[in-house]
Amino acid sequence: MNNPTLVTSSKMNGNYFLKKRIKNILLYIVLICIALYTLSPLWLLLVNSFKDQSQIITSPLGLPSSFTMDYILNAINEIHFFKALGITTAITALSVLVIVVVSSLAAWMMVRNKTKSSHIVFMCFVAAMLIPFQAVMYPLIQFFDDLHLKSASGLILMYGGFGLSMSVFLYHGFVKGVPLGVEEAATIDGCNIFQMYIHVVMPLLKSITVTVVVLNSMWIWNDYLLPFLVIGNSNTKTLVLELYFARITAGQFGNPWQLIFPSVLISIIPIIIVYLFLQKFIVKGISDGAIKS
Amino acid sequence: MNIYKKWFWPLVMPSLILFAMVILYPFIMGVVNSFLAWRGTYYFDPDTGTRASSIVNSFVGFDNYKEAFKDTRFISALIYTVKYTLIAVVMVNVAALALALMVTKIARASGIFRTVFFLPNMLGGLALGFIWQFIFQIIFTDILFSPEALHIPFLRYMTQDSTKALFALALLNTWQYAGYMMIIYVAGLNNISKDYYEAASIDGAPYWYTFRKITVPMLMPSFTIVFFMTLANSFKLLDQNVALTDGEFGTRMLAMQILRTIKDTSPPNYGKAQAQAVIFLILIAVITLTQVSITKKKELEM
Repeated sequence: MNNPTLVTSSKMNGNYFLKKRIKNILLYIVLICIALYTLSPLWLLLVNSFKDQSQIITSPLGLPSSFTMDYILNAINEIHFFKALGITTAITALSVLVIVVVSSLAAWMMVRNKTKSSHIVFMCFVAAMLIPFQAVMYPLIQFFDDLHLKSASGLILMYGGFGLSMSVFLYHGFVKGVPLGVEEAATIDGCNIFQMYIHVVMPLLKSITVTVVVLNSMWIWNDYLLPFLVIGNSNTKTLVLELYFARITAGQFGNPWQLIFPSVLISIIPIIIVYLFLQKFIVKGISDGAIKS
Repeated sequence: MNIYKKWFWPLVMPSLILFAMVILYPFIMGVVNSFLAWRGTYYFDPDTGTRASSIVNSFVGFDNYKEAFKDTRFISALIYTVKYTLIAVVMVNVAALALALMVTKIARASGIFRTVFFLPNMLGGLALGFIWQFIFQIIFTDILFSPEALHIPFLRYMTQDSTKALFALALLNTWQYAGYMMIIYVAGLNNISKDYYEAASIDGAPYWYTFRKITVPMLMPSFTIVFFMTLANSFKLLDQNVALTDGEFGTRMLAMQILRTIKDTSPPNYGKAQAQAVIFLILIAVITLTQVSITKKKELEM
């Protein structure tokens, strides 16, 4: 049994696996550290939402010395949490609905009509993706003010317009891969164009619709600038606006952390809940969207 | 088929109307207004010193642009934005790529790590900016890096100095966006066939060599997307800028400069703000198109 080559090779193998194992463990340690770093601001947010100002400043890292919901309840009152949540949800949902319906219809028709005008319209949408919001914001607000649409409903139309370019682009790329045969069969069966859209086309576009919904609702929900310009400090504020104005009005006398922390906490809880339930779709939506564009 | 031809305009029309109302018309008016003495609610006539009787009398040529370039606030915002963009693009990309390489290497719990790293993206820039303001002002300054602890003066009072705030902003945004960009890199990494790596490992190629010769070239399409997104997002950054420093201590970036120009003077000079916005548009178009054409060329070369 004195075969030298065999011995060395098994030794090498043992070494190799040991090395690989150590490497693997190190990798997990690094990842856990980064994960803790990623979560640490949220930990701060959580523990400091139950402390008063002086305790926040003196011991920001530790658990609160006594448990009280006072600051949370105060924040719910201060930022009109339930009202703002309703407004934000309504604006986001309606805007995304407008974007999905309008852009899927447009993209579908553009792919099915390979005419020059169809191509020109598509190119306009694509080119518009380069235009930053700042380039259009002042005339836009002025124009909507003239139309008496400087309101929450106007805001929905604006989001509809801003979400359009990217969504048309995404749908366009996807519809191209949908075979015409199914739609032809539907027409022969006597479907009209709307029945075809609802029963044939939209079900086929389900996965790209997830992407469109995810990408658009994420930025609309968290958007600060457009609601700030359109709604401002009125009584139909979104969550982000409530947060901003709470910070501004209370912040004249230093940083009122005992109000800011619980306000931020309650304003992000709805998103975190949605994220934990839908994270598979969200992550898939993001990576699909990136590959397609 | 005839049915599509018949329904083309009716079904495309809603998108065209929205597009015209929200983007096209405001865009054209924006460019026009940048050549006028626009005061927001009215047009000013520089010859008579009163309200212009018609838009034509309000024409000032390139005056708004000249004024913008003479404004030190605009110039310093421009320089600050460029500096920030350079730092942020590097930091976000390095962090995102490192995360992507790590989460695709491990066999177990990869999904949990991805979920955690992506989480900050779900939250708004304003809310996160407030939390990080606390981190920089209290945690960094009084606890972690105070003279009694690690004592790193550069990491103290980061929101009260223009250079330090640059890194504070970049740190905040790396924390927020690295997870998003990681997802895109992961998708790219998963598209690379395992055969290449197997062949390389049979040949005994070291990790760094495999990374340079296989991973980087095959990831080029992902680089194009991630560079484009980080460049554009950094250049247009607003929320975090507002929440973290609100432009104090010379930390105003371009997006905030355009927003605050109308508050800098009375009556508000919308014409000048609009001229800055047009310059902003041109810069973004030039930068992103150059970047995409360069990385696309690299994609073909590789």
